[in-house]
Amino acid sequence: MCLGIPGRIVEIHHDRGLPMGVVDFGGVRREACLAYVADDIAVGDYAIVHVGFAISKVDEAEATRTFEVLKEMSQLDELEWMADAVPDLQLAEREKSP
Amino acid sequence: MTATIPAFACPAPIGVTDRVVLGHGSGGKLSGALLRQHFLPHFQSSALRQLGDGAVVSAGVSQVVVSTDTFVVSPLEFPGGNIGTLAVNGTVNDLAMMGAHPYYLTAAFVIEEGLPLEVLDRIVASMAHAAHVAGVEIVTGDTKVVERGKGDGLFINTTGIGFADSEFRPMPSNVRPGDVVLLSGPIGLHGMTILSTREGLGFESDLASDTAALYPLVDAVKRATDGAVSALRDPTRGGLASALNEIAASSGVGVMIEEASLPIPAAVAGACEMLGLDPLYVANEGNFVAFVPEAYADAALAALQAHPLGANARRIGVAVAEHPSMVVMRTGFGATRIVDLLPGDQLPRIC
Amino acid sequence: MKYLSEYRDGTIGRAIADRIRATATKQWMIMELCGGQTHTIVRQGIDELLSGVVEMIHGPGCPVCVTPLEQIDRAVHLASRPDVILTSFGDMLRVPGSECDLLQVRARGGAIRVVYSPLDAVKMAIDNPDKQVVFFAVGFETTAPANAMAVWRAAQLDVSNFSMLVSHVTVPPAMLAILDAPDNHVQAFLAAGHVCTVMGWEEYEPIAAKYQVPIIVTGFEPVDILEGIWLAVQQLEAGEARVENQYVRSVRRDGNLPARKLVSKIFRVADRKWRGIGEIPGSGLAIREEFADFDAERRFALEDLATNEPAECRSGDVLRGRIKPNECPMFGTACVPDHPMGAPMVSSEGACAAYFNYGRTRIKGTAAPKGVKESV
Repeated sequence: MCLGIPGRIVEIHHDRGLPMGVVDFGGVRREACLAYVADDIAVGDYAIVHVGFAISKVDEAEATRTFEVLKEMSQLDELEWMADAVPDLQLAEREKSP
Repeated sequence: MTATIPAFACPAPIGVTDRVVLGHGSGGKLSGALLRQHFLPHFQSSALRQLGDGAVVSAGVSQVVVSTDTFVVSPLEFPGGNIGTLAVNGTVNDLAMMGAHPYYLTAAFVIEEGLPLEVLDRIVASMAHAAHVAGVEIVTGDTKVVERGKGDGLFINTTGIGFADSEFRPMPSNVRPGDVVLLSGPIGLHGMTILSTREGLGFESDLASDTAALYPLVDAVKRATDGAVSALRDPTRGGLASALNEIAASSGVGVMIEEASLPIPAAVAGACEMLGLDPLYVANEGNFVAFVPEAYADAALAALQAHPLGANARRIGVAVAEHPSMVVMRTGFGATRIVDLLPGDQLPRIC
Repeated sequence: MKYLSEYRDGTIGRAIADRIRATATKQWMIMELCGGQTHTIVRQGIDELLSGVVEMIHGPGCPVCVTPLEQIDRAVHLASRPDVILTSFGDMLRVPGSECDLLQVRARGGAIRVVYSPLDAVKMAIDNPDKQVVFFAVGFETTAPANAMAVWRAAQLDVSNFSMLVSHVTVPPAMLAILDAPDNHVQAFLAAGHVCTVMGWEEYEPIAAKYQVPIIVTGFEPVDILEGIWLAVQQLEAGEARVENQYVRSVRRDGNLPARKLVSKIFRVADRKWRGIGEIPGSGLAIREEFADFDAERRFALEDLATNEPAECRSGDVLRGRIKPNECPMFGTACVPDHPMGAPMVSSEGACAAYFNYGRTRIKGTAAPKGVKESV
């Protein structure tokens, strides 16, 4: 149910009519059945693979967009608590500037 | 950990078996139980009871370190080595983990009828080469042949003899809270290489076994620390988790490691993710952990990194007074989790 | 690894947790449906991170845990036959049946092979024409397309010595059983991201509307789960009850249509018993008549078997979220991974195993082990 991980399609071929491919997971490669993503997928795309089957194509645009939002949010947090943590430094900085 | 099973008991409480199961060979809890319940009650030896990588024995005034190991790997040949290389390096390393300089090996072969002679030739040639690199001499041996179907190709037992400096006796009882845990090289390479050849689970990669003779590294650390190494262990079957648990259990000290510091090659990580395995439990054949007093930690790490076999050495954790006998890891995410021994072998999963 | 490792970033995770704390005005009870999510939550201390603000109730999302005892016993029976090679996912091998588990059958001489993909089992059948190869087809909807393809392929290539022992379960009926229970406390759900990758989320919309519970389709990494919880808390605070998708990189509303199509072609909806819970109508999949040749239960005329479950095992209550694993009297004493009483202590995705393996230093009521080595 759960263990589906993203991999990059590096090759596509057919085995007696069944669309198959080779997927790269961070340096290891394994064959996977591409029958369920055959219309969408091309070499270089990422797919979620579960028990040797690609079950979806990774929507890279959406992934990037939503992740950027999270990253920004966490960076904002970091700046806030950094500011709280070093009030004296800020004061010193202000006094220094003309 | 003791457990009581209630009197009403399910018909066959699964933890009790009447036969040996594969898990008994995994290096996890079942292996420990097999030893304690079926071997130690019979073999009355105080040296044996230490359950170290080898035994220090004396005859008169001489002290010799002896260790034995049997190799049953399948396939016999794999990227990075073969059963012969393992047979030499594995026993040489057990001696090294006791702090002993390895000198001699015995080699006993149980060969299955039908093994191609060219395979045997390759394996024996590898053993000769590995022995040469390790600086040991194979001085005696034995050969038996069993009927086809009774031997999985080839089994090899090697017994090693080495000599230890009486002042250099790394052992778990030396470990103290505050000792730094050093790991000499990346984890997961050997186990994942073997798995990559397995029918049904296989995958392609550039992975190769890390099998190597480790005494030169041990010697480097010994010199850099003036011999003040608390304990050494090579994480073979059962992986890093099992080695750390053995030391924690024997010493009574707690161990805390940092996930972010573990050197895990990308291909090992990728294969583990794919199969749902934890690299902490995957077998290694070419690295070791050293528990070293804090004062010597930097020197020891530098000595490891200066050697080709230790180029990826890292500081991975520390021995602590908290959670005695338990290994705990701080994850990359920042949480803490227990790293326990597994009951048997790790199994690939879908969930 | 891309699209995986970045979702394990602790800084981002803690930032989301801060947002959740800032948003919640009271404590909320949220159930995660998938065992993989349970494991991430316990392993990464997400429950601890949100303590006092969100209580995570662990759902029955572990197909290994809920595989009925009868099916394990059938698998054991088949594997014990000399003419059969039983192939299975690794998860199933240590799950206790009435008498023993599959690993013990292997010790007694049964041919059992772990496979990664159901297609490997079909290949094994082709390579071993003198044996019957049975594949133990377990899983939720995520695995159904793969298992369906194995049957399809075997039919196409005329692999007559291949068959499947099916134990498929589906999520929505289980969710309804939980929501209909009189003692239900669950206020929102994290739906299983890979189940929904296949099925989409259409079928959850009427559930959200009828029971007024937010349902967030969520991934499996710590950042995914925290983001899913945050979306749920925002809806709960606003009094909303919609289906929302956190796992946008993989899930679309109608899921994977070719996969759903083949699943309906090979399987039909059936009643299914859930181990520890009992029968949930319409919650399973069974092989259709047209493909009956590939149904191991029919091929081997497997009788109804009498099963034997330890009476003390509380896995049903754990699976329904009624108790936490450490509230079971057997937890950590009579029931440990070495000798489990029930499936959730064995399966890598079971809640009991998660608590035992990851949570003992933190979770109240679970004692740290007294010392691993017994005196010799």
